[in-house]
Amino acid sequence: MERRLVELAREGDPKAREELAQRCGTAAFRFAMVLVSEREVASELSQDALLRFFVTLPSFDVSRPVLPWLFRIVRNRLADMRRRERTPAGAALRFAVPIEDWLPVTDRFADPHGDIERLELQQLVWRCLGQLKLPHREIIALRDFQDLSYREIATVLEIPMGTVMSRLHAARMALRGHLLETGYHFGERR
Amino acid sequence: MSEDRLGMRMPFDEELLSGYLDGALTQQDTQRVRVHLEESTSARALLEELRMMREASMSSRIETPGDAQWSEVPKTPASRWSKRAGFSLLLVWLTVVSGVVLWGVATGTEAWWEKALVFGGIAGLGLLFFSVLQDRIRTSRTDRYRGVKK
Repeated sequence: MERRLVELAREGDPKAREELAQRCGTAAFRFAMVLVSEREVASELSQDALLRFFVTLPSFDVSRPVLPWLFRIVRNRLADMRRRERTPAGAALRFAVPIEDWLPVTDRFADPHGDIERLELQQLVWRCLGQLKLPHREIIALRDFQDLSYREIATVLEIPMGTVMSRLHAARMALRGHLLETGYHFGERR
Repeated sequence: MSEDRLGMRMPFDEELLSGYLDGALTQQDTQRVRVHLEESTSARALLEELRMMREASMSSRIETPGDAQWSEVPKTPASRWSKRAGFSLLLVWLTVVSGVVLWGVATGTEAWWEKALVFGGIAGLGLLFFSVLQDRIRTSRTDRYRGVKK
């Protein structure tokens, strides 16, 4: 996210604040969706995080990237929410909503033949994400959905850089394990 | 397995495959992975599976709420709840007060133009209230997420 946009927003420029709110709101929602997998909860969580984001904007160091800071807020708000609901931090997701009701929308017309296979894997990935523990969901959300660098991930999760690769690999292997349990065979698609 | 500088065989650290996939390795580790990939079919297969999973995740398009939802002062659950409660209370209050006033005026001894003034005012307020209510119902009916169970 452009540094100039953040600077203008901090100075009170209404257009910049509006644009920053939209960009950050969307990014926070996407991150929250991977973490909680429920649109209603993700929406509330991201709105809550956005409010906090603007409260802390005056003290934000503009030389730092915005997204890791925003995702850290989302993560903290989720931790607060789970504390209120007394949900264990490592607990896997319970789907209150049938997965078919919130599956991500994919452009099915871009490449109809290839997309059928990709869509199947996408849907399975989403289904299996819900079975992962939160630390694994978080790191996959940050790397594979948000494309953050290892350094940025270390900042968000407050872990050493060296831990990022090992945790990410463990998360990917756990996800792969759940995919295989569903009967998915990577070999057939290669 | 790969060889260190002394030519000793070292066990291959599988985590390096994720680092390789993400382009996050040092030149030395990248070289180790390349050597291992040439030797190991299972490592090549695993790397390909990890790549497919990452691509599937990256290409997922999540339908996001409209831009209008995001403002620097977004609605919190508490503010939404108080808004709903306030709206309901206002509706009850307006109904009771209007009923009492209308009954008093209708059965009172005021002149016809005084009665018309009160009835006209209350009818105008009622119509305005009805139009707001109609807009809200229409908005909720066209809400894209209304079908999503809570």
